[in-house]
Amino acid sequence: MINTGVNKELNMSAVIEKNSGKKRFNLSPYLYIGPHLILFAIFFLFPTLYGIYISFTNWDLIGDPEFVGLANYKEILFNHESTFYDQLHNGLGNTFKFVLFTVPACIIVPLLLAAGLNTRPKGLKFFQALFYMPTLFSVSAVMIVFSMLFSVSFGPINHFLNVETNWLSTQPYAWITLVVVTIWWSIGANMIIYQAALNGISRDLYEAASIDGASSIQKFFRITLPSIRAQILYTVVITTIAQFNVYGQPLMLTKGGPTSSTSVLLMYIQQNAFGSGISIAGIGSAMAVILGLCIMVVSAIQFFFLRQRD
Amino acid sequence: MKRKAVLMFSILFAIMMALSGCSSSSSSSSGSAKNEILYWNPFTGPDGENMKQIVNEYNKTNPKFKIKNVSMVADDMYKKIPTVVNSGKGIPDLTIVHAERIKQFVGNDLLTTYDDKLADYPEIKAENYVPAGWDIGEINGSRYSVPLDVHSFVMYYNKDLLEKYAPNALDDNVITFDEIKEAGEMSKKDKITGVGITWTRPIFLSIYNQLGGDITSDGETPTLNTPEAKEALELLKGLIDNKIANKDGEDPGQLFKSGKAIFYPEGIWMQNSLKDSKKLNWGLTNFPQISPDKIVNWTSSHQFVMFKDENRSKEKTKGITDFLDFVRENSLPWAKAGQNPASLVTLENPEYQDLPQSFLVKDPELQKSLKIFDYKYNGFVAEEIDKLVGDAIYGKLDITKGLKAAQKAVEDKIASNNKK
Repeated sequence: MINTGVNKELNMSAVIEKNSGKKRFNLSPYLYIGPHLILFAIFFLFPTLYGIYISFTNWDLIGDPEFVGLANYKEILFNHESTFYDQLHNGLGNTFKFVLFTVPACIIVPLLLAAGLNTRPKGLKFFQALFYMPTLFSVSAVMIVFSMLFSVSFGPINHFLNVETNWLSTQPYAWITLVVVTIWWSIGANMIIYQAALNGISRDLYEAASIDGASSIQKFFRITLPSIRAQILYTVVITTIAQFNVYGQPLMLTKGGPTSSTSVLLMYIQQNAFGSGISIAGIGSAMAVILGLCIMVVSAIQFFFLRQRD
Repeated sequence: MKRKAVLMFSILFAIMMALSGCSSSSSSSSGSAKNEILYWNPFTGPDGENMKQIVNEYNKTNPKFKIKNVSMVADDMYKKIPTVVNSGKGIPDLTIVHAERIKQFVGNDLLTTYDDKLADYPEIKAENYVPAGWDIGEINGSRYSVPLDVHSFVMYYNKDLLEKYAPNALDDNVITFDEIKEAGEMSKKDKITGVGITWTRPIFLSIYNQLGGDITSDGETPTLNTPEAKEALELLKGLIDNKIANKDGEDPGQLFKSGKAIFYPEGIWMQNSLKDSKKLNWGLTNFPQISPDKIVNWTSSHQFVMFKDENRSKEKTKGITDFLDFVRENSLPWAKAGQNPASLVTLENPEYQDLPQSFLVKDPELQKSLKIFDYKYNGFVAEEIDKLVGDAIYGKLDITKGLKAAQKAVEDKIASNNKK
């Protein structure tokens, strides 16, 4: 929630900068962005700033927030004895693991599928619909289906493999399950972007390459990839941000287990701020701010590296 | 060009205003309507229908204040409560909350007492309710809630399998863990699971309390890292290691429904899910015990509370109490949802006496076995127990280490809450 806000803010600043260059005040650009700006302020900017403010307070959501300065950050970042330190450590670690496991596959698999579809095979529309469909399902529906598929005693996967693997509550299977589910669920969005990009590459380039005797692998790396670099940059950043905000999959499939090895940071944030006990919103917000900072840093690094080649 | 832009903007603006207008008018209609009691409850499952039935029947009696029934998912409801009570707008007049939450709400000064409001309702009194449900609403000499039900975590058993593997287990009306072990040893040769590990929190807490443990020693300090807790976890781990309980990841509900498990500890509210399996011949009894001398059945309770609202008139409060008195006398639909109504009026109804779960209330001795784990920081304890028990009993986490970490986590959360 906070993270999307921060990200949108980045996008907006570019627009505002452009406009400030003009000398005469021109109303119409503001009229165009006005409606969005209002919604953005209400639903993103204000909650983000308020969330950051809450991270400096001690608040149970009921009384008045009490300002405590950096105490929450000290507690979660430096107090090795504290449960919240462990939570941040473990949660952030697992979140990073999840990002590392899923993002490469979430780029490569849709890219290969899009490249395959770009050769216009028979049943193109059918496969396109098939691959895109999972994206339309809600996370809870997908997770319920997969928890049945991976069920130990009644699941078809164990049945066909003729094993008794406990996919959801032993490692490394819990990670494998989470990664597989996430890739399956998120193929569609990136694939559509790549398909559109691939369609835009001029056929002439491929023909010329063929005449020069380039193999299809050479064509892919020398023509296809460089031509869609902008789209890849976009999807890498967007996918990374999306996977940093992972929550539904481990919550519903593995419940953070076994022994908290798949508990991601958002689960701890949620539990601290809106758990079944009294709310510890300050600590939860501080964790959320740290997660937001991590996402910003990682996105900035990605931008830097992928742009450098220009 | 500019004119067009202005025009478009004004159209957009108008649409936005219309949209926001809609939302604000609908939210203000809830709560502040004059002759309506806004009633929030967490009954989104099939039990919601039974609650609607009670409300409809009450509204048919043409009361001055009709009840407006609003059900929402429990988590959402508990998130909304602080917000609406703080903002003072749309505060529900009457709300069902879980018994364990009441102390927390009282601590935050969010509840209105019933103290002076029950004077005209002499029948809303301790003698007419199940003690476990009634007592929980009395805090520091004031009455903050009136119970709707007491719902307990007990045990289902497969009658045919019981006959085969443990024909004498129910002679004293209590199935002990020793009897389960014996039956499980015999049944595992036929690939029948002895007992299902279902919801670990009430399973652990029931055993913990049978051994003399409780989640708090004095109402303030949490007590999780104790020898009794260790013993309780080891008992469960023993059942799993000896293959008397189901394997990790197996669905005990499926096993029981397909006739492959003898014992199935679950809540009385789960009866509806068993009615689909027509072939299954099941019975309901106490949660398994270590010894028949001290019976403990984990219990919680749905309670009627009133959140503070300056604008609630005296008349409306009277309307609320009228409804509570009506529920007291007309709880049968609620019993049919699989619950045990807290009001003892229902007990006289033969239809209720035929319901399987009524055994807990019929016998005054068993009424004493209903144990509500009431503690200001119950939520923190629950979170940690949920994390701990499954991993500890399936051998993924060292029991001693796990208990220590759980105790520490609860203490830290309490400390961070009391920093002020």
